Amino acid sequence: MKLALTVNGERREVDVPPNASLLSVLRDDLDLTGTRYGCGRGQCGACYVIADSRAVASCLLTADQAARMQITTVEGLAKNGLHPVQQAFVDLDAMQCGYCTSGMIISAAALLGRDPKPDETSIRDALAGNLCRCGVYGRAIRAIQRASSS
Amino acid sequence: MWDRREPERLEQRIRIEPDGAITALSGKIEFGQGIRTAFAQIVADELDVPIERVSVVLGDTDQVPFDFGTFGSHSVAQEAPLLRKAAAFARHELIERASAKLGLPREKLDTAEGAVVGGGRRLQYAELRGSEPLAGTIPETVDVMPENRRRYAGRPVPRVEARDIVTGRARFVADVRLPGMARGAMVRPPARGAKLRSLDDTAARAMPGVVAVVRQGDVVGVVAEREDQARAAAAAVEAEWHAIPVEGPTALVPMRSDAEVDARLRGAPLRLAQTYVLPPIASAPIGPSAAVADVRGDRATMYVGTQRPFGVRDQVAKTVGLPEKRVRVLPQITSGTYGRNSSADAAIEAAILSKGSGRPVLLQWTREEEFTWSPSRPEAVLEIAAGLGADGRIVAWRYDEHTNVHTAAGLDPQVLVVTSGRNAIPAYAGFPARVTLHIEPTRLRTANFRSLAAAENVFAIESFMDELAAASEQEPLAFRLRHIKDDRFRRVVERVAELCAWHDRPEGRRGRGIACTIYHDTYVAQVAEVDVSLSGAVRLVRVWCVVDPGQTVNPEGVRNQIEGGIQQSASWTLKEELLHRDGRVMNTGWDTYPIATFRDAPESIEVFVEGDQSAPPTGVGEPGAVPTAAAIANAVYAASGARLRSVPLTRERVRKAMAG
Repeated sequence: MKLALTVNGERREVDVPPNASLLSVLRDDLDLTGTRYGCGRGQCGACYVIADSRAVASCLLTADQAARMQITTVEGLAKNGLHPVQQAFVDLDAMQCGYCTSGMIISAAALLGRDPKPDETSIRDALAGNLCRCGVYGRAIRAIQRASSS
Repeated sequence: MWDRREPERLEQRIRIEPDGAITALSGKIEFGQGIRTAFAQIVADELDVPIERVSVVLGDTDQVPFDFGTFGSHSVAQEAPLLRKAAAFARHELIERASAKLGLPREKLDTAEGAVVGGGRRLQYAELRGSEPLAGTIPETVDVMPENRRRYAGRPVPRVEARDIVTGRARFVADVRLPGMARGAMVRPPARGAKLRSLDDTAARAMPGVVAVVRQGDVVGVVAEREDQARAAAAAVEAEWHAIPVEGPTALVPMRSDAEVDARLRGAPLRLAQTYVLPPIASAPIGPSAAVADVRGDRATMYVGTQRPFGVRDQVAKTVGLPEKRVRVLPQITSGTYGRNSSADAAIEAAILSKGSGRPVLLQWTREEEFTWSPSRPEAVLEIAAGLGADGRIVAWRYDEHTNVHTAAGLDPQVLVVTSGRNAIPAYAGFPARVTLHIEPTRLRTANFRSLAAAENVFAIESFMDELAAASEQEPLAFRLRHIKDDRFRRVVERVAELCAWHDRPEGRRGRGIACTIYHDTYVAQVAEVDVSLSGAVRLVRVWCVVDPGQTVNPEGVRNQIEGGIQQSASWTLKEELLHRDGRVMNTGWDTYPIATFRDAPESIEVFVEGDQSAPPTGVGEPGAVPTAAAIANAVYAASGARLRSVPLTRERVRKAMAG
């Protein structure tokens, strides 16, 4: 089916099978591979994108549903230089393998969008769906705190 | 066993490119431990260039020298001196060329910012290279940069890939896109080792997007234009399997057999014996295994995540029937896998699919496949008995480790001792010990895992040290120090106690536990503080860690690795257990295999990197994870009086232990 998506502020037309997930369309049709596959069940956060200001799992959203939303991927956050969250993650070395980083940054950017000065508990809650196996949780929390004070 | 000793050639290590950029080559692999950055630091220093001018090629089998694999936290330790020497030799050669060109003696020449300077002249490296690349055998001894001229080594440097990672531009294996690339999906048997009895792919072949159904031996998969099409068709393949149980091997390895252990145990005024149990756990990378294979008639190119690119090259060459030289393995950035990537499963499957379909194929395992088909950390049952003398010192130690194989490298006792038996011999001194490794069969597929068996053995040993101290009414820190002879070991233990103010006991339902070890010459001591609720729930509050990894190239990288090791180990200790039946893993997702989340992360993990700068650099990827389980279990005991000898420390177990 033919669809028109709004991704990172641009209109993108695709022709994909019905029920194709937003994740597969981003990765395979739009070459936006910064959004990662992790579990396909919305349990790990690696595929999060911002859909109309909320962080959502793009593996659980069909492209058809997403066509009615404004989608921002991790690539789109860096349109005019690094987003403060991205900069803070670099500055504090808040990553190891980096596979989960896109999803963390999306959750953090969505959080700061609705609450520019979150306390630590709000940060932990907002990112509770973003699993990291390398164990950079502490650094990520400090990076988000730094981004919120910049 | 993982050292190489043949003379090295400069062109295999350092290239000055025609534009003057520097390329450093290594067979080691980056998977989040920061080695690309550490290597760039070392090479930038020796060649006197800004770090931005250095690019590091890791693991490309057509370019880098042979390497056995990236294991055992030894990447920086093993490679740093080699790369440093190669880069120093490259600088030497550049000065040599400048000397000939300018007619000036070497002593009048120096380097600065990517150029050789002297006698009022300045020759850029690009100019000196010209059309003649640097080459030659690297001599045994080369003069290296004096310490005061090293700008990067020993100082915190941001990871070179950081910007690509935060913007999503970093291309992991599953992000590789080739022209004409199709997608794969495997048809899985009911259990590992099953033989294919019959196959009906009529329906699958007729499904939309299907390119081919491929079978090679007992490996079956589908290639289609899109991934969802490949998965749908794989589900439609009708395969009948003949299940054959696969059992792991058995072995008995005496690791240490001092005299008089039994007699001294019998004669000791105080004897204690305990058994500790750890379940199998999963590597559980956030990114499941993936590989891209492009197998043509006479050559194959593999884009993979691997710890041993040359091993993958050999395996793929055998699988598709090509000479090794016709297979190029290009390691990509990969999700951290903590040992699991020593297996080449996805690469071999992708190669079979590509060969069978005539298309480049991306194979991305699902989350369920990753849990079900990955090798796991084996379970371990550790039996310890010790006797204490009238003065409260250990007089004898008997240790029996029961586990399964940790590696596919065979049953050579020397291999088993450093893999499944790692850290089974206690780091303490002053008493005879008998340590025996029992490799027992399992139907579970087990393999390399972060720190091999050290995390299990140190959980048992360091829990038992606390139990011995308690049984003899000694203070756990003082009891350990009485049995430490090694100065560096003593120092990390004393430092961690000092930094956390060990003797100020926390109040309420909180407690602190200490644990320490020497892991492959890295000294590490940790204190954990936990809060134990009345219902038995354990919350990790804080961790202090002192680590001595010898000379340190990038202290910030070390801190990050150690913190991560502690966080991951806390997750193993408090949450994780793999359930299996008849060799099949029953956990299929993060709902049935929960790991620590942002909510579980402790308030702080303070890591103090206090390397002995006169000692050679050692690894830091694994040691952080080793003492954490015991530090937590000892803290739970201090907080609640509950001694937990089984991991994970679930609420039910802690509640029961508190009641008993």
